[in-house]
Amino acid sequence: MSENKFEKVSSLVDNYQDVKNENIDLFDQLNTDSVLSDTWSHYHLIGDVLRDELQSKISLDFSTQIAQAIADEPTVLAPKQSTLFNTVKAKVVQFSKPFGQIAIAASAAGLMIIGVQQNGAVNEIVMPSQVFQTTPLAGFAAPVSFNTQSTNRLSEKQLYIEQQRRFQALLTDHYQQVKLSASKNNNQILPRQQVEDSAK
Amino acid sequence: MKVLIFLLLLLSNSFVAIAAESSPVKPLIKNSQITTPVSAKLWLNRLSKSLKTLNFNTSFVVVKNNQAEPYHWFHGRDENDLELEIFATLNGPRHDILRKGDVVSYIEPEVAPYSVESEKLSGPIPAIFSADISIIENDYEFISVGRSRVLGRVAQLIRIVSKDQDRFGYWLWLDQESGLLLKLAIISLKGQLLEQIQFTHLDITDSLVDTLIQLKQADLPPVIELPTIKQDHKLTWQVNWLPTGFKQIKANRHSMSSTEQPVEFMLYNDGLVDVSVYVSASDENKRKVEYVMDGATVVLNQVVNGFEISVVGKIPSNTAKAIADSIGIKTAP
Repeated sequence: MSENKFEKVSSLVDNYQDVKNENIDLFDQLNTDSVLSDTWSHYHLIGDVLRDELQSKISLDFSTQIAQAIADEPTVLAPKQSTLFNTVKAKVVQFSKPFGQIAIAASAAGLMIIGVQQNGAVNEIVMPSQVFQTTPLAGFAAPVSFNTQSTNRLSEKQLYIEQQRRFQALLTDHYQQVKLSASKNNNQILPRQQVEDSAK
Repeated sequence: MKVLIFLLLLLSNSFVAIAAESSPVKPLIKNSQITTPVSAKLWLNRLSKSLKTLNFNTSFVVVKNNQAEPYHWFHGRDENDLELEIFATLNGPRHDILRKGDVVSYIEPEVAPYSVESEKLSGPIPAIFSADISIIENDYEFISVGRSRVLGRVAQLIRIVSKDQDRFGYWLWLDQESGLLLKLAIISLKGQLLEQIQFTHLDITDSLVDTLIQLKQADLPPVIELPTIKQDHKLTWQVNWLPTGFKQIKANRHSMSSTEQPVEFMLYNDGLVDVSVYVSASDENKRKVEYVMDGATVVLNQVVNGFEISVVGKIPSNTAKAIADSIGIKTAP
């Protein structure tokens, strides 16, 4: 019975006059029966493929598909420097703390310093800081002399280390404070972060 | 004869099936349909409920700065409804976070282990996702985008988009079956991927896994009496501009963990993002603004008129710059 119905739909798609006259209620069924209406669109699609008329339809659906794909899979791009600042952008490299202030168990400290330094080494392999070969901080090209170049390099490197240390300290402190802020008593700080209150 | 008919039937069936798959009419329209914000919020509510109640054992990697940090994450509730949770880093020095009910312990390489009493756990996954999402409803829009396949599962993509241009967007891929997080991405205003968390395996179990049973029996570091500073500490500086919805969480004067430099410190939060502001005296009179991005976290540092000002948080650099420039001497109320 249903095979018969599909045949009629097929004939209708192929524009056979007799079917039109015979089955007026087939149109109603096409509107109500979802299987039948799906079949109707499949037959049209098949017809379109056979007649090679699919061009316009495909391009229409490509746009939705592409939109879908973009929505699902964001483009992987490195964070780009904003044009607002003409400053040095560099990767944060972890530095070990100055030796004097390590007041925790020696074993833990040793582990930490080794671990941190390893991290730092890995970072430099992954992202070599070419920034300092291309844009000298001094702002002018140094004369080609072995002495001047080396002293410049040194101070640049010191500046760079100083900068990295500053950024690392800020990051560490930020994460620390955020963790402590979750506490019910949220204005806590760690014992060694206490400062003498100079305010009278 | 019968076989031939069968073959023909098979062929015609498969042809229709192929045609149906490539049929542009129905399924695509369904997928690209943008559903109402209500349904996106329902998804986020479900996420929060699942994160709080389900027993799960999962791994994920945090991908930022061309590096991947792997984590293991256990969560569960025992028969007395005690919430147990572990975040453990798998590479490098240990950074573990343990939760037993309302006590959260942090184990870090640079500090002696300590615990705080807190419902919020400050880990790689923003705490808001296991809390009431309507807290950030005023500042962010929730958009349900479509379905895709993540971690071999059917995932629903929900976008959390800032209503202004001052914050990053968060994209969440949620498991259709359990409502749990499968992937999280932080996206800049220009649509660039800054940081992402990709889950690599997910087990949902009926009972607690062994690791959590061990945690239940283990003694956590005591909740140490950390020195507390009164909130009404008289600070000399104030921030005059912040994006809407940011509230001051704390303000104090402390010395930086690693440099021992004393700073005036203010922490702000809009429910999703934390922003720290530091002001301290500097030897230099002026230094141009410098900043770095650690994944989505920007660190801005500048010296103006002998004072060093720093802003840290998961915000666009323009926002950080605007906050830094708005800092001034506190005016008497």
